[in-house]
Amino acid sequence: MDEEIADYALEYSQSKKVDYAEVRAHSQVQERIILRNEILEAYVSAVDTGFCVRIMANGGIGFASTNRWSKEEARAIVDLAFKYAKAAKRKDKLVFAEEKGIKTKWTVEQKKKIENIAPEEKISAFADINKSLASCGVKVPALISQVFIDLITKYFANSEGSKISSFVPKIGAYLNITVAEQGKTEQAYEQFGYSGGWEALGIWKIQDRMIHNAMVLRDVITKAKTVKPGEMDLVCGSEVTGIAAHESCGHPMEADRILGREMSQAGRSFIYKGGDYWLGTRIGSKAVTVVDDPTIEHSYGYYPYDDEGVKARPRFLYKEGIINEFLQNRESAAKLGTRSNGSSRSVNYDREAIVRMANTFVAPGEFTEEELIEDVKQGVFMKSFTEWNIDDKRFNQRYVGKEAYLIKDGKLQYPVARPVIETTTLKFWSAVDAVSKKVEFDAATCGKGDPSQGVPVNTGGPCIRLREVFVK
Amino acid sequence: MSEILGKTEDVVKKAKSLGADEVIAKTTFGKYRQVRFSNNQVDITVAWDDYVTDLALAWKKRVVATQIHDFHDVDQTVKRLVELAKVSGENPTFGGFANGNFHYADSQADRRLQSLESPTELVFEAIDAAEKEAGSEVDSGGILSTKFEDVYLASSEGPSGVDSRSAVELSIRAFSEREASGHGVECSSTLKDFKPSRAGSKAGEIAKLAKNPKIGEEGAYDVIFDPLIFGSMLGVWGGMASAFSIMIQMSIFVDKLGKKVAPEIVTLTDNPAAYSMSQRVFDDEGVPARENVFIDHGILKTYLHNASTARAFKTKTTGNAGLIAPNPWNVEMAPGTMSKDELFKEVNRGLYLTNTWYTRFQNYLRGDFSTIPRDGIFLIEKGEIKKSLKDLRISDNILSMLGNIAGLSKERQHVHWWIEADPPSLSPYVLIKNVHMTKSK
Repeated sequence: MDEEIADYALEYSQSKKVDYAEVRAHSQVQERIILRNEILEAYVSAVDTGFCVRIMANGGIGFASTNRWSKEEARAIVDLAFKYAKAAKRKDKLVFAEEKGIKTKWTVEQKKKIENIAPEEKISAFADINKSLASCGVKVPALISQVFIDLITKYFANSEGSKISSFVPKIGAYLNITVAEQGKTEQAYEQFGYSGGWEALGIWKIQDRMIHNAMVLRDVITKAKTVKPGEMDLVCGSEVTGIAAHESCGHPMEADRILGREMSQAGRSFIYKGGDYWLGTRIGSKAVTVVDDPTIEHSYGYYPYDDEGVKARPRFLYKEGIINEFLQNRESAAKLGTRSNGSSRSVNYDREAIVRMANTFVAPGEFTEEELIEDVKQGVFMKSFTEWNIDDKRFNQRYVGKEAYLIKDGKLQYPVARPVIETTTLKFWSAVDAVSKKVEFDAATCGKGDPSQGVPVNTGGPCIRLREVFVK
Repeated sequence: MSEILGKTEDVVKKAKSLGADEVIAKTTFGKYRQVRFSNNQVDITVAWDDYVTDLALAWKKRVVATQIHDFHDVDQTVKRLVELAKVSGENPTFGGFANGNFHYADSQADRRLQSLESPTELVFEAIDAAEKEAGSEVDSGGILSTKFEDVYLASSEGPSGVDSRSAVELSIRAFSEREASGHGVECSSTLKDFKPSRAGSKAGEIAKLAKNPKIGEEGAYDVIFDPLIFGSMLGVWGGMASAFSIMIQMSIFVDKLGKKVAPEIVTLTDNPAAYSMSQRVFDDEGVPARENVFIDHGILKTYLHNASTARAFKTKTTGNAGLIAPNPWNVEMAPGTMSKDELFKEVNRGLYLTNTWYTRFQNYLRGDFSTIPRDGIFLIEKGEIKKSLKDLRISDNILSMLGNIAGLSKERQHVHWWIEADPPSLSPYVLIKNVHMTKSK
């Protein structure tokens, strides 16, 4: 990465009649490891480096990127971005919400530097999972492990005087497991993610979690009963709480979606001006506070400054059940007459930064998990999920349980096979009457944008109890 | 052109000289342009130029890969990769890269897509067409994307060639009301006969019909799938036909080779033909890309292979190699004999679905899944569209749905949309019986 060429691109862009210009350079040292059972299918190791310019001129925005580091190429992409900005011919001229220039550097520390870990160790850390599964007493015909390691160096500078350099190592893993018993199969996936070094492996305890998954799937085949459909109480484990927080709170609170900028792909939101839901409207019970916080150290979605150079901070999206604050970048904030709250993210130098979540979770309550269950006469404890989806206005969602148990008279009875909650955002969050104390996180990759930009995030929360919802 | 192929061949020679057994290098000079629009206005126009050499090599059945950008640090990068192979793990099922000397067809890429001067005009054509259909209040958004790639491939196993690949797509979603929308796409490998207005008109037409939607009822319906939503289904079946999906147990087609998986009217082909956004003359191993019928009159005939998976399955490659695993390029469904209108007349009481997203599986082997239709959802009675509906979900099984296909239209459309109808496909209107729909409670 050559910061001088990036600075040259910014300087050259300012020689034109631009309202705003920025340059963002990335260098990503990437490793991808793909294992089928214990067999290494492929090991990919590469460096992807390049830079982009984003220019606002005449109320339009142009963006161009390249992975060729030369002044000639810098001029070429600036000329192109400038031309595209002017060609937009917008009736409503775009502006960005005001920000002051920032000069800073930030890094994420590694306790065990990924650079110092030999490829053999990286491979065996994941190949060994299969060995553990082979001796756990459950038949596992397939385990697919994909490992993602990225050492990301960035440089951001804009025409308002910002200059921000950063370095963040990210490590992630995505595993699919198939269990076969009695001629039947069950499948599940598990994702792990961390900003930091190889110490992540010690924190994740992947082998324990995958063995647990294998046993849960075996029990679904051999012991679980289906639930009799009807209205009942539902206790959601942190994994289910987290996906619901992400899908039916985080996404509909993205201001670009609310404004329609993602209307053709990721969709719009049930929240819009003049509609039934807006800032200040109740969407859940008083027990529900959902936060998106990029500043949680070593989280998968960690960043202290976003990709527009805006300082990050926690955002209280739903606060005690009330729609409180949208996720904003500088473009959406200007349209809505407010300030950016540092939600602009991009996966690489060749993608524009758009409004994204970071780490979205339900804030803790006062109960223990046991207390939530003790107070249920008839219901289901959905500890984790498998199939799920939600409509593009983020109102009709469905979560299918992976590990789930019937609750009767305050006690867990037996495993339940694939219980389903299919309900609206309003009903889901309004039904919450109690929240436990302990917040836990899972890693996920959030998709949005065209071309699609999968950004690392955490989802999470405590256990939550929903009263009298329809479970089938 | 030959200079770049020469440099690509040099990368292969370098890796061989450092001890690699087999090497493939593919250099791509790509120019990609995109206009994103919403609320009938252009939000941003984006250009990204990419210069990359993908390099894969095998050493004693250890497979490793990397990327080299703009031929920088070739020697060091190749050296590091060979060293990585030597400490990497053996893949006993690796069967080697494709070998042979092939003759390739001439590329039919459209060079006009190398540098489209005024892409925004194509966007306004689509927006205007949507407005003409659904009225001036219609609110449209979407993308226009173009791709032009020059591709140079060299392999230590013989294949060597040059290809050019072009694509253009316009995707537009039009809202006539807050909850009434339609989606149209126009997809091609060339600007010849590329008509953004077709996509705009379709989006506008559906959006107009979709006004005042009511929440639909749960139940089993006979459903007519528009080519766009059926493109999502074709993408799922195509992906599950990949031999890699079979090896990792992520397919309903495991152990079904030679068996009946669909009615006789169903023939599915993978074909990176000249019209397709996935057009190519060779795959990532240099094997000539070709048409492969994988479901022939309802019988599963083959999986889609690269050279290595083909050897594992004791067959021949189908020319579907990606750098790691085989992929479908462009899934075609053979047309039926009925017109679209005749197909609708087959439905006494059912649904017409136009688009979907979030297709998610509980179990890829069994095929249990759900997906959420979006844009126009319509109740059909006695062959006519009677009512606009909303908030319904398909909660069914993808193998059963393949088996319940009951009718196909003569008309077909080349469709692709974002990550949902991907890879591209050539899709008719399709009638599937007994599709299970659920809704929120």
